[in-house]
Amino acid sequence: MAARLAARLGGMLVVVWGAATLAFLVLRLVPGDPVDIMLGVQGQASPEAKDAIRADLGLDRPAFEQYFGYLGRVLWGDLGRSYQLRLPVTEVIGQQLAATLELVAASVLFTLVLVAIGAVVFGGRRSRPVVGALELIAISSPPFWIGLVLLAVFGFGLNLFPVAGADGVTAVVLPAATIALPVAGLLGQVLAAGMADARAQPFALTALARGVSAERLVLRHTLRHAALPAVTLTGYIVGSLLGGAVIVESVFGRPGIGRVTLAAITHRDLPVVMGVIILTSVVFVIVNLAVDISYRLIDPRLALSAEAIRGVR
Amino acid sequence: MRLIPSPRRVLATLALVAGTALLVSGCASPQSGAGASTPQAGGTITFAVDVDPVGHLDVHSSQLDINAILQRPVFDSLVSQNADGTIVPWLAKSWSISADGLSYTFDLRTDVKFTDGAPFNAAAVKANFEHIVAPDTQSAQASSMLGGDFYAGTTVVDDHTVRVDFTQPFAPFLHNAAAVQLGFYSPLVLAASADKLKAGGPGISVGTGPFILSSYTPGSELVYTKNPDYNWAPDGAAHQGAAIIDTLDVKILPESAVRTGALTSGQVDIIGDTSPASLAQLGAGYTIISTQSPGVPYSLFLNVKRPVFANLGERLALAEGFDLDAAVKGVFQGRYQRAWSILSPGTPNSYDASLEGSRPFNSGDARALLDAQGWTGRDSEGYRTKDGKRLSARWISYTPVAEDNASLAALIQDGMKKIGFEVKHDVLEPGAYLDAYLAGDYDLTDWGYLSADADILRSHLGTKGFQNASHVSDATVDANLAAAVATTDPAKRAELYRALQQYNADAIATLPLYVPEYSLAAGPGIGGVTVDINGWPQFSAAYTSR
Repeated sequence: MAARLAARLGGMLVVVWGAATLAFLVLRLVPGDPVDIMLGVQGQASPEAKDAIRADLGLDRPAFEQYFGYLGRVLWGDLGRSYQLRLPVTEVIGQQLAATLELVAASVLFTLVLVAIGAVVFGGRRSRPVVGALELIAISSPPFWIGLVLLAVFGFGLNLFPVAGADGVTAVVLPAATIALPVAGLLGQVLAAGMADARAQPFALTALARGVSAERLVLRHTLRHAALPAVTLTGYIVGSLLGGAVIVESVFGRPGIGRVTLAAITHRDLPVVMGVIILTSVVFVIVNLAVDISYRLIDPRLALSAEAIRGVR
Repeated sequence: MRLIPSPRRVLATLALVAGTALLVSGCASPQSGAGASTPQAGGTITFAVDVDPVGHLDVHSSQLDINAILQRPVFDSLVSQNADGTIVPWLAKSWSISADGLSYTFDLRTDVKFTDGAPFNAAAVKANFEHIVAPDTQSAQASSMLGGDFYAGTTVVDDHTVRVDFTQPFAPFLHNAAAVQLGFYSPLVLAASADKLKAGGPGISVGTGPFILSSYTPGSELVYTKNPDYNWAPDGAAHQGAAIIDTLDVKILPESAVRTGALTSGQVDIIGDTSPASLAQLGAGYTIISTQSPGVPYSLFLNVKRPVFANLGERLALAEGFDLDAAVKGVFQGRYQRAWSILSPGTPNSYDASLEGSRPFNSGDARALLDAQGWTGRDSEGYRTKDGKRLSARWISYTPVAEDNASLAALIQDGMKKIGFEVKHDVLEPGAYLDAYLAGDYDLTDWGYLSADADILRSHLGTKGFQNASHVSDATVDANLAAAVATTDPAKRAELYRALQQYNADAIATLPLYVPEYSLAAGPGIGGVTVDINGWPQFSAAYTSR
């Protein structure tokens, strides 16, 4: 057990290291000198001043020295300082993390509620086509447009929610709904397809023959079968959202990782970009672990087959 | 047990709710103007803008207009520039300029203090000006406004008298001294937290202004509370003493449609940087303040070092070859003026109005010019060729390109195509743009540059100018620029700048396109908002009356 855990942790570290290394390489291949960009298109600085800034940031040193220096510091939890903001990267990300976490949590909650309503409550054969059509509309609508429509109706029109900011619970409702609608549409489709498959399986017939009610069949059996791909998808979506939801953040004027990342990429603020990439890879690794664990809870056969495989070996 | 309500009924309810919502939003109208006449002391004004200056909050090093707008409530200057360009006393009661034009002596007010309690005095002025020129500050704009290489130093004459010296006469200094870039931080901040000025925030962005920055959420919101002790507004300002409102709340709303909706729904009081299209959506009851930006209007810069624009013929063909009047009118719905000079009409004491109408659209003449330059062949796409090479110019811009400018670019390309001149518009991400720009790998690029003094031409037309995107190198131009920066006689300066504007109108180093405007729209019940020469809002006299 301990060996498996260590292997798992080692694997996770390799993923994070790989992401950081790839990002480091790619950021050096894209055009644009960080110092020129920092000074701006209309900037005015002598070559000596630019060299001084370069030396100050360590950009004058050989790439491999920068790379190993960076890795060494990251191991000690030091992500460096932002070129643009002159703040530690951990602080830059930390300032925005709460707003992003709040948005992700609310989005996931809304998504689950919407999916539950769509797939479970309206899972019946008669209402399914209508719900399915609504889901397709939600999936194919651009989030930007959904955000503006929600704002126009519930923000500007009914004045139910504040237009912008991240103060209080009401401010998160519209942004989270904007994210949740298309995601719920997608999850709903996946779940509905899975449940339809499960319902066609012999065990469903057996259960019904045993006298199980339609509701119980859904909640105890078919939903469980359909849940695996939906859980994978949810994990992926949570991971990407924690990396930032830049469009929703822009429309609603919310702080968050997304806009920080966009600005950092535009300004070649390498330490911040690297910091976000490391954060995102850590998040993905953790989410992936959580998804794997939930697989075993949802579908006991997975644990059994894993035992069986070890038995053979 | 039936947990599940009838789907049909739920759907019907949803439809009803959605319909009602749309109906209500359609009817939503701004609060009526009735009773909007009595100003109230106190209250909050909410001001929505498109970006915040994340990481560029230091007035001494930031080059962002939005930072100048958002820091003005916090920072005062030695003098103030009225909307007509005249200079009036502010933190300096009076000043004198030495006969040789090298020294400016300011007699400071004695009753001014920073909002952290530090006194404003000659030492504070010196500390700030030294901060601007210190290498660690990495200031480009503020340090050049302080004279750049011409700045010699600041001397404390006595507690409330300070002298600024230059190595040669520097005429723009008084105009520049009125700008927020030469505003004053508390010396306590400069001593304790100079490394945090770029990040900014409460306790860091501390000045003597009518407002105190009390909270800052990057990317989202800035909150200012009034400075109750404020009693040093510029001479002749409509409102003296502390601000009328208690709180100024600035919200960052990047989407133009969201800003307009927030205004019409009453969720914000004032919106800034408003496009002509959004202004057209606002009905009666809204106060719109639009101001032509002084400085260099939005222009195309023709790189004269590259073959396609090395000769005057092709440059003239670009200037006359497409219908700029119609394009500007169409794109900006008749709200913006077409530009004729390398200086905007609002630039104090310099604009040459005689250039207006001087080079009208004339595609026949443009065609003849191109024929005369030998561009007589035609390729399969209808573009002109010479020795088998297509007549083509590469225009580079950096993202984000405003929608209006993108439309204008499309009309220019279209117009030039009609006379067989290909204009390729490469919209590049800033990093890639800078690489191309610094390498000179472009025929055209575009921008407008706001400045309250015509000396901005020195950086745009001077051989060594850092914004000389046209790569102009002309001895007469350089001599005129040098003479204009060194003379304090307004009439003589105006004459020199007229000669420079005439030069550009003849040589087409830049092709001025339109005069940008800064537009504010205020909702009903908001009054007293004034603007400075740039059209940027001032809130100390602003009030709500709801």
